[in-house]
Amino acid sequence: MATTPVISVRDLYKIYRVGDSRVRALDGVGFDVQKGEFCSIVGTSGSGKSTLLNMLAGLEKPTKGKIVIAGEHMEKKNENQLVAFRRKHIGFIFQSFNLMPSMNALENVALPLTFQGVSRKKRLEMAREVLTLVGLEHHMNHKPTQMSGGQQQRVGIARALVVQPEIIFADEPTGNLDSRTSAEVMELIRRIINEQNQTLVMVTHDDHLAGFADRIFRISDGRIVDIRVTGNAKKDLTRKQH
Amino acid sequence: MRFWDILLMSLSSLWKRRIRTILTVLGVVIGTASIVVMISLGLGLKRASLEEMEKYGSLKSIIVSEKDSYESDEEEGGRANKQTLVHLDDSVLESLRGIEHVEYVYPELEAEVMLLAGGYTCYTSVRGVPTKDMELIGLELAQGGLPEPGDTQLKFVYGNSVIGEFYNEKTGHGYWFDGTMAPVDLMNDPMICIFDAEKYYNFIWGNADESGNVAMPKKYMINAAGVMAGKVEDYNSNSNLIYCDLDLLKALLKKEFRGKAIPGQPTTISGKPTKEIYYTNLVVGVDDMKNVQNVQAQISQLGYSAESNAEWVESMQGQSNYIQLALGGIGAISLLVAAIGIANTMMMSIYERTKEIGIMKVLGCDMRNIQGMFLMEAGHIGLLGGLIGVALSYGLSFAINHFLGVSQMGIDLEGASSISYIPFWLSALSVAFSVAVGMAAGFFPSLRAMRLSPLAAIRNE
Repeated sequence: MATTPVISVRDLYKIYRVGDSRVRALDGVGFDVQKGEFCSIVGTSGSGKSTLLNMLAGLEKPTKGKIVIAGEHMEKKNENQLVAFRRKHIGFIFQSFNLMPSMNALENVALPLTFQGVSRKKRLEMAREVLTLVGLEHHMNHKPTQMSGGQQQRVGIARALVVQPEIIFADEPTGNLDSRTSAEVMELIRRIINEQNQTLVMVTHDDHLAGFADRIFRISDGRIVDIRVTGNAKKDLTRKQH
Repeated sequence: MRFWDILLMSLSSLWKRRIRTILTVLGVVIGTASIVVMISLGLGLKRASLEEMEKYGSLKSIIVSEKDSYESDEEEGGRANKQTLVHLDDSVLESLRGIEHVEYVYPELEAEVMLLAGGYTCYTSVRGVPTKDMELIGLELAQGGLPEPGDTQLKFVYGNSVIGEFYNEKTGHGYWFDGTMAPVDLMNDPMICIFDAEKYYNFIWGNADESGNVAMPKKYMINAAGVMAGKVEDYNSNSNLIYCDLDLLKALLKKEFRGKAIPGQPTTISGKPTKEIYYTNLVVGVDDMKNVQNVQAQISQLGYSAESNAEWVESMQGQSNYIQLALGGIGAISLLVAAIGIANTMMMSIYERTKEIGIMKVLGCDMRNIQGMFLMEAGHIGLLGGLIGVALSYGLSFAINHFLGVSQMGIDLEGASSISYIPFWLSALSVAFSVAVGMAAGFFPSLRAMRLSPLAAIRNE
């Protein structure tokens, strides 16, 4: 199946200037991600995995290279266009959940829809639907402080899903959770990816969590050193590798 | 993002930090109130001075009289011109009526009169004005009414100070001398009037007149039509006068002074009376105060003497504008301090919400919407402060007028307007102004919020 990839990265460089020396955070990275695929980027701290994710999400500018997401060149966009692009095409799951403390679960999930200009009635309805999907139908009116870490991250996942994005980025989504809850959250993510045919790119330092993905990119010193297809992968996705 | 959602989000974040919001609003309240109260004092002053000036005659009218003869001598270079001096008659009246911006013209004819009532005498002026024009003078009456159009008898409208002019014939003392008011009821007592005072004194002192007779001048019994409102001390340009119908007065004077020069009327070189009785003044009413000077200049060019309060009013207004500016400036300083307070509050709010703003940016909130949210917050602080400030100003203004007005200024300002005066435009303008100040103070903070890096949000603490 020769579909165009949702993400296409070519020759990506990010060079930081620290004093007189130059640090190559990313040193010529290239890969593709197909629709419906769940990819993990694994690496130790300082390997450049977070930098890569930030650039994919348009939060940082690459020094050199091409990033094409959903057919659009991220490296050519200005900040306003990047914000608009994220609003329409990208969902984001944070390590520290980053829910608005003054809003309840329902309002937090509906927030990205607010930015899209969806009417209040419609967006609350959509948020309710997604919250039910992540199993929080009984916690819709709870504030973040009234929920456990696992519940908060489910709200975070629901918030990323509600805009029906082309792609979801997750930055250490279980980094603030204990191992049992982490496994639950990962299973939830896995289930939703399969059910909704969503594309997700996750950054983690944990090999075990990375194992939930279809494909694992191992990154070290700014280069992809290993790409491994796990047993989760659907047949048609295993073929295309970089 | 929908406008309504931006509004709600900015309101909710103000509510979240309500203590700080209240304190910042308080600053704006004080700033707005000080500006409004200061300007209201200036406006009150201006209005009071205009009202004071109005007592010296209408501010929209011009008094036209004949040029003094020496003036014409100088300007036209010779006594010969004295003969050609134009006296004020109906043709002059009509020509003035044709000038642009002139609303009305009416004539005045003045004569001296002696009033005798029960041993008390008064010597004053009577001013005849056509009955149909009498409304234009704007007399306020306490008793009776104006003369009626169909009147065949001369009737007087007494000024409120006229009663003070009566003095006791035996002692020579009157109200202004020892404060005892003559026991004369102007409205109801029969009034004996003598127009030819010279003849009267000749009779009293036994002097014979030109024809060798010693005779009492004719005494006229004249009834009152009305008495003007006001105390005897309340001065205005009409308070010392007696008004009556011009035509009836003219007829009476013609009869009384047959063959003699009427005091105050022009005479021929030989001192003989002119054939006609001319008007003493013509009063020209102008449509607006700002046109008075222009019309006055045109009348002067026609060769008449024209007087008005326009120049006086202009200089007074310039002065009070200056005072108002100074007072407003003092008030503006406290609003400036409040604006700094708003900027400070907004900066604090942005520092606290760095993460929140970052999350919103990652989730795709438009940068302009973020700026809009913060601008609206600052604008709301201004709006709330402005509204409360204006409400407070009305309260302060009331207090100033109520307590300061009566106790400090006493009778001087009684009946006159208030010290502090807030017109609607001032309150509306100052609310708009404080919103503008709030938004201006919030502009740079909002720009900063807009430019915050979204990376701050996903930085893990």
